[in-house]
Amino acid sequence: MDKHNRSRLSSVVLPLLLGLAVIILWQSQLLHRMIDADTFTLPLPGRIFNIIVENIGKILINMKATVTVALGGLLMGSLLGYLLAIIASAFPKWGTGGLAVVSSFNAIPIIAIAPILNNLTKDFSRDPNVRSMLAKTLVVMITCTVSMSVNAYRGFTELKPFSEDLMKSFAASKGTIFLKLKVPNSVPYIFTALRVSVPASVISAMVSEYFAEYIIGVGRQIRENIVLAQYATAWAYIVAAIVIGVTMYLILLAVERASMKGRP
Amino acid sequence: MKNLNKSVFLLVLLLTVVSSVFAGGESETVEEFSYYAADASVESILTDAATKGQVGNWGLGNEYEVLALLTKYDLPTSYLSQAFDMDGFDDDSILLASAMTYNELGLVKNSYDGGYGYGEDVSFIDMNDEGVAMLEDNLFTKAEFAAENPETVKAFIYASMKGWEYACANPEEAAEIVFNYGSSVSPEHQAYMAGEVKKLVETDTEGNTVTSYGEIDEDAMAQTLSLAKTYIKLEDSVAAKALEAMELDDIRDSSYWEEAMASEGSFDVEKADVSVQLKWLPQAQFMGYYVALDKGYYDEVGLNVTIIPGGGDIGETTAVYTGQVDFGVTWVSNLIAAKAAGMDLLEIAQVYQRSGLVLVYKTE
Amino acid sequence: MTEARKNSLTDKLVIIVWIIALIIVWEIGASVVEKTKRSPQNVLPHLSQIVESVFSDKMVSNKQTAFQIVITNAGITLLRAGIGFLYGAGAGFLLALAMHRFITVEKATFPYLMMIQMIPILGMAPIVLAITQDINKSRIIIAAILTFYPVATNMLDGLKSVEKEKYDLMRSLAASNWNIYTKLLIPTSIPYIFSGLKIAAPMAITASILVDTLQGGAGLGTMLSQSLKHAMSIYVFWQIVFFSATVGILSYKLMSFAEKIFSPHERAKGAR
Repeated sequence: MDKHNRSRLSSVVLPLLLGLAVIILWQSQLLHRMIDADTFTLPLPGRIFNIIVENIGKILINMKATVTVALGGLLMGSLLGYLLAIIASAFPKWGTGGLAVVSSFNAIPIIAIAPILNNLTKDFSRDPNVRSMLAKTLVVMITCTVSMSVNAYRGFTELKPFSEDLMKSFAASKGTIFLKLKVPNSVPYIFTALRVSVPASVISAMVSEYFAEYIIGVGRQIRENIVLAQYATAWAYIVAAIVIGVTMYLILLAVERASMKGRP
Repeated sequence: MKNLNKSVFLLVLLLTVVSSVFAGGESETVEEFSYYAADASVESILTDAATKGQVGNWGLGNEYEVLALLTKYDLPTSYLSQAFDMDGFDDDSILLASAMTYNELGLVKNSYDGGYGYGEDVSFIDMNDEGVAMLEDNLFTKAEFAAENPETVKAFIYASMKGWEYACANPEEAAEIVFNYGSSVSPEHQAYMAGEVKKLVETDTEGNTVTSYGEIDEDAMAQTLSLAKTYIKLEDSVAAKALEAMELDDIRDSSYWEEAMASEGSFDVEKADVSVQLKWLPQAQFMGYYVALDKGYYDEVGLNVTIIPGGGDIGETTAVYTGQVDFGVTWVSNLIAAKAAGMDLLEIAQVYQRSGLVLVYKTE
Repeated sequence: MTEARKNSLTDKLVIIVWIIALIIVWEIGASVVEKTKRSPQNVLPHLSQIVESVFSDKMVSNKQTAFQIVITNAGITLLRAGIGFLYGAGAGFLLALAMHRFITVEKATFPYLMMIQMIPILGMAPIVLAITQDINKSRIIIAAILTFYPVATNMLDGLKSVEKEKYDLMRSLAASNWNIYTKLLIPTSIPYIFSGLKIAAPMAITASILVDTLQGGAGLGTMLSQSLKHAMSIYVFWQIVFFSATVGILSYKLMSFAEKIFSPHERAKGAR
């Protein structure tokens, strides 16, 4: 028990120490000398922090926009992916082929998908904020669908040996087998998928903002500021992006731990 | 076989869903558009488009003139983010769209590949006429570089302006030269662009003819700086203060241009191998530099020049500041923003003498 | 015909049917767009129009047809992607070994690996650029940064999956560290490395296209934005969409193929 606690403590303390060391090197400009950068492209943490404090309201508005798109797309994509996996496992012969075709969508670069969707969603609403929101969410949805469908499908098919036969021998209906055996079996696979799609959802939300009609979001602000050579402000938004990503990931880990409790 | 039936059923289901989604979209596209009378006043057009929230601009530092224009008429200063293309204008989601005379305006009017073919069914509001013009393509370098290599700077200005002079006298030939240097623009659009760029280089904001290529027009620069101070909003308080305190002398130095133009064209260059970073991909927008290279004007002054195409999100200001290139072509407003952020850059010549930005609209 | 061969044949048939279904869906969409939009080729053209543009000999730009533009620029982008991928995979491999060998390294760095993935390319690029002073080197490094994460994490999982009994046995036989790594740890983690590589390969290509747009010049990404700007035929854009998807899939297949060569004993398990 003691050993376990110590190991948990060290996995918090060690990264913090490393982070602190990097920040000290950074603020004291030793880091700049090490990698031959200047305080212009790599602004000092103090200045970045000041910008965050001074503009917290505006940063929060942009963060909210990005989180909404990332979460919305993640939710829609994961649900769709799970649904596809259910359909595929109901018709295994056709399903696997279908999933292979669906996975190929992941190979299309986001920067090619985003403009197409922008144009396709033009008629959705007269409010540009609403229709850009839809276009961005759809981009995120596409990136999240694939990993969920492939992983959930594995969860439905990679069962413990003979467990399905055993249930069949008890004359369990297809529905019962699905609900009592396959769905619980797929839970760890859902989390495997989410560990990939949570960071991916944030990144693709930000990239889709570059192309969106309505100017809002953390990714868009990073771009606007870099183009204007305002690197310190861009870094303030990069910090915001990291905060979003890490928070979402930590929440996922907490949910995963909670739902795995009591499972073998 | 049983599986086959199921899958056929699934396929049909999928197709029905998809086609109904598309059909749903179809019924929503019926909207009323308001096009503007050919003789409508600027104020009435702007007011209509702005109150509907359908004024478009690309943002990313291109929006200040539009904001100034909207402010001039006491209108709300929000705008839609215009994409790379003019599709938003084409499908009427943007009623008043930003366009550069030499680029987007040509695409809207002409019907060559990539064009929208509106011909004379469009008209535009000119920033120069409205008194909100900001200067665009210039020539700049790092202040430190200029101080250390004055002869190189003068030689580069001299040969480049000779290139511009030739290009403006022979726009068709200039377009062809650019095309041969790896242009990514169709030949027809290139030729159009050369003709329009010539107008921007040879006419000032008041509409007067300019014969001294690259001269820094003090009044137009002062107007650009004053508009920049009003409309560039910086979240970084350090940069915002720097912008507030900025004066013309901080951003431009005419002496290199004056001495270059007064010279006989022979220079004792400190650095012979120099590079220039363009703001975008090779196109007639930069024809003067390509002509100077092609005609050997750079060789004549003892320079070996490499032209580096731009076209990405890392600006030419950063490229010059980090020392990857010696010279750059950018818009004055970009230079001001970079200067405010702490980059010690200096404008040494002003190639475009008037604003190329217009707001284009469809006429009845 | 053997059972296995018959199965793989029907598998192929299934994929073909799906592709046909997708084509039908696309064409329905394109027909609707054609009727409702003023410039349908910008929104969703018919597939036949895209195919036609591939074979068209019309010069779109500097003495090149649309397809020639795509191919020449693809060469540049894919080369960068390939080099970046190799660097990224190599770095991921070494980092996984270091994290496995020294638990401190794993604990201290792992959360940051995740964070680095959260930094948008655009934020990272200027710093890398300022350090390397060269846009092409920066593009390769950024592609590498984006690809090493899946390799490192998957390989670490692989190293950890080694049964403790085997490890203890080798230790008790006084095997050298070198032997333990080359004979036991690395071979066991090969399938894991490959699942990492299979994720990383299409990512390297996507990343490479994205970093093309950083400072212009040449490359698929630059042509993509130039085509979207209508400075040249819009079909260059559509061709790039299909081309990049195809290359992405091929890169995945290439990794699967390499996996079969490197782990022959897996072949029996893999072929289902």
